[in-house]
Amino acid sequence: MKENCLDIGTIQAFLDRELEQAESTRVSSHIAACDGCALMLSQAEDESAVVFSALEREFDTLVPTQRLWGRINDAIETERRETPFWQKVFAYVRVSLANPSLAMAASLIIVVGIVAAIMMNRTAPVTETSPDVVATKTVPVINTPPIVAPLDVKPNVAPVVRVERASYRPETRRPTVEPAVLKQPVTAAPASDYMPGEESYVKTIANLNKTVEQKKDDVMKPSQRIAYERQMAMVDDSITKMRQEVKKNPKNESARQVLYTSYQNKIDLLNSVSQKEELMASLR
Amino acid sequence: MQKIIENLSFGFVLAIFLIAHPTLSFSQKTPSLPPVAGPFPTGRPGALPPAIAPRMGSDTSEKSLKVDPSVNLSLCVTQGTVTVNSWKRDELRVFVHSGSKFGFKISQKSEKTGDPVWVMLMGIEARKKYTVPTECISGGEIEIDVPANAVVNIKGEDVNTSVDGVRKTNVLVSGGSISLRNVAQGVTARTFQGGVTVEESKGPMDLKTTNGNIVVFEAGPSEIGDTFAARTEGGTISLQNVEHRQLDVSSISGSVAYNGAILSGGTYNLTTTNGSIRMAIPQNSACRVSATYSQGRFETEMPFTVEEETVQPGAKTVKGKFGNGGDAVIRLISSIGSIAIRKQ
Repeated sequence: MKENCLDIGTIQAFLDRELEQAESTRVSSHIAACDGCALMLSQAEDESAVVFSALEREFDTLVPTQRLWGRINDAIETERRETPFWQKVFAYVRVSLANPSLAMAASLIIVVGIVAAIMMNRTAPVTETSPDVVATKTVPVINTPPIVAPLDVKPNVAPVVRVERASYRPETRRPTVEPAVLKQPVTAAPASDYMPGEESYVKTIANLNKTVEQKKDDVMKPSQRIAYERQMAMVDDSITKMRQEVKKNPKNESARQVLYTSYQNKIDLLNSVSQKEELMASLR
Repeated sequence: MQKIIENLSFGFVLAIFLIAHPTLSFSQKTPSLPPVAGPFPTGRPGALPPAIAPRMGSDTSEKSLKVDPSVNLSLCVTQGTVTVNSWKRDELRVFVHSGSKFGFKISQKSEKTGDPVWVMLMGIEARKKYTVPTECISGGEIEIDVPANAVVNIKGEDVNTSVDGVRKTNVLVSGGSISLRNVAQGVTARTFQGGVTVEESKGPMDLKTTNGNIVVFEAGPSEIGDTFAARTEGGTISLQNVEHRQLDVSSISGSVAYNGAILSGGTYNLTTTNGSIRMAIPQNSACRVSATYSQGRFETEMPFTVEEETVQPGAKTVKGKFGNGGDAVIRLISSIGSIAIRKQ
């Protein structure tokens, strides 16, 4: 081996065609003149042949770059087309909620919605009524089919219990309060029972009663309320007695006169409550 | 995902706070005002403080205004004692002791003199940096001097009112007594808790109280046809020397007393549901009487000619006359109680 013989790296680079043109010519000239280097080149070629034969399949496989990109793009397009709408929305929301401002706004809307739903479904408050007012309490009624006893009932055998799913559903979640029914005073009478001249009094009193019954608790203080009720009872008692007398004897002018005076007293009494309510309202 | 959860959690907490804070704030009741100490009268025992009154201040102030002699003064008082007097000056003077600030609002001026003929007394409620006019004033004592020909209109809530020497007055209060004197051309007085007293006054009169007595003496019409009406629901009515020719007097649970002359052409209607009716008239009176009563009895110590007596179950009626009858009519109705007519 000469002192300027080629090393294995240069020989391997020569085999791999990695050398420059000038270098490759020099190496080729040297190998032609040097037996040692020629042997090393031969050995390197053998080794490369073994390696390349082993990797021949891999090296021979073409990398279909354009085709690969085409297939990738096709797959993306197909996936985009076939993705369900809700998945798109979900993806959009997920991306949007990553923004803190949008997330807080969404939270606010949700909470407001929940509160509003609770408020709307809250049961209506039951209004207080005065003792003179009778409010009917509504109770949900379930219409059950009539129970028909089978004809072949055996006395000692327990009846077969059929369990059926109840389909009852209340019409509304809010309890319905029927209109309060005022206790009509003793002056109330069927239309046919009115005496001559009495009907206008009774209707006037009924109209006043509707308004006064709601206001008197607000307008009158307890002591005034007691006095009012006492006077009202007094007038009602007089009306009751005189009315009975007039019913017995329509020609009893004295009783009729007292009766109509009592009616007028009752109207004035009711009017006083309305007048006071008007005064208080005007002061506010 | 973790970031999303954190954002949502923070948002929920913030939203709940934003909703809960105003909700809880509005649901709280406004704290009631502390009791106000002062020398002012409370009207009656157990009287509630006015709900709409500006708080009674501690200001004592006086203002005056040159007005037309026939000025019409209107004022609203929520609490206190109002005293109105007349004087021979064309000037309106208002003095408020331990009360709210006030001012005059001139609604109309006289075309002749240019002086105010319609004045409203307005309260002034002092706020932190500014003042707000209110319709009503309040005070421990409110003294008002007006021309003798003035008309005074008072509206209020819990007010003891005294008016003396004006031409006409209208008083409407929800509570408190009313005392009127020397009113020349008419009186309207309405209180829902308290008495009404009218003295030496003329003109049409309409007196009403819900729970209180009515006392009238030395009253009469200022013009022909002026009427007199008095009504109480829970009190007595006492009339002395009332010279109106048309009287309508009624009480529900109280007695009615009339002491005075029966004028020719007069109509006297006195009714009560639960109480007695007492009349004291001159012995030489000439009038027709109709007395209806359910329980009790009818009696007179004067010569009385019974023309018709109806005794039926439930009620009785006696019709008759004093003297030659004349053209005056007395109608008396008492459901529960007696009726008595005696001589003066």
